[in-house]
Amino acid sequence: MSAATATNCNLTAQCVNPVITATKSVFETMLGCTPVRSALSLKEGTTSCYDISAVIGITGKASGTIVVSLKLQTALQVLNRMLGIEATEINREVADAVGELTNMIAGSAKCHMEKLELSISIPNIVSGKNHEVHYPSNVQPICISYDSEIGPFAIEVGFSESR
Amino acid sequence: MKVLLVDDSGTMRSIQKRCLNKLGVNDVVEAEDGRAALVAFEAQKFDVVLSDWNMPNMDGLTLLKEIRQRNQTVPVIMITTEAERSRVISAIQSGCSDYLTKPFSPEMLQEKLAKWVSCVV
Repeated sequence: MSAATATNCNLTAQCVNPVITATKSVFETMLGCTPVRSALSLKEGTTSCYDISAVIGITGKASGTIVVSLKLQTALQVLNRMLGIEATEINREVADAVGELTNMIAGSAKCHMEKLELSISIPNIVSGKNHEVHYPSNVQPICISYDSEIGPFAIEVGFSESR
Repeated sequence: MKVLLVDDSGTMRSIQKRCLNKLGVNDVVEAEDGRAALVAFEAQKFDVVLSDWNMPNMDGLTLLKEIRQRNQTVPVIMITTEAERSRVISAIQSGCSDYLTKPFSPEMLQEKLAKWVSCVV
C-alpha cells in the first residue's frame, strides 16, 4: 500500500464511525428496525455486494464515496416500510426510496464530520446482479456488512484527501 | 390548515404527506423545488411551509429568503439532512421558524407542527 493510499485509508477509517452511527439512526427512525453489524472488511474488487446500490459522492476538505448496497428483498422492504407500498422488483419507487435512505445516512454522517466542510451529491442508483462500483485507484474502501429484520445490506465508505 | 410541502424527492414528499394526513392535515400542495414552491406561494395562502434544503433550480434557503420578502409571519419549517451548526444558524438568520433534521418520525413532525400551528394537536 502506497503512503498516499495509507493516508486515505486512515481518513476512510475516521469516517466509518459517523456512518455507522448515522445508519443505525436512519434505520431505526425511518424503517423501525435496528441493523446489526455482521462484518467490517477492506473492500476488494469492484463488484457490489448485493442487487441495488445507491452511490453518493462527497466533496469538501476530503473527497469520498458512500455506497449503500442492498439485497433485492431488503430494498423492497425499504420501500414498504417507508411508504407502505408493495413492490416485487426494482422500479422507480424502490430506487427513489433507497436513494433517499442513502441521502439521509450520508447527510447524518456528514454532520458528525463538520470540520471537513463536506457537501454531498444527489444519489445515483445502480442495479443488477454483480454490478460494479469503481473507486479512485488511491482509495481503499471499507465495507460494513449488516443483517437486519428486513434483510442484509452493506455500506462501503472510501475517502481521500482533496487535492 | 393548508400546507406547502417542498422537496425534490417524491419519496420524502410521500412520507411527509402521510405524516400530515395522520395528523388530519389533508390540504397539502406539493412542489418539487423552490421555484415551483414560490409560484404556488404567490398564488395561494398557506398556513405553514415545510421545505427541504438541497433542491435543484432554487434551494430551500433561497426559497426561505424569497418567502420572507413577501410574508414575515407564515411559519417556515426546514426539513433537511443539513444539520451542521453553520447551516442551522444561516437558516435561522434568514427567517426560518423551525428546523427538523432527517431522519424524523411522525411524532417529531407533529411536535414541530403543533408548536407553530395552534390547530394541530
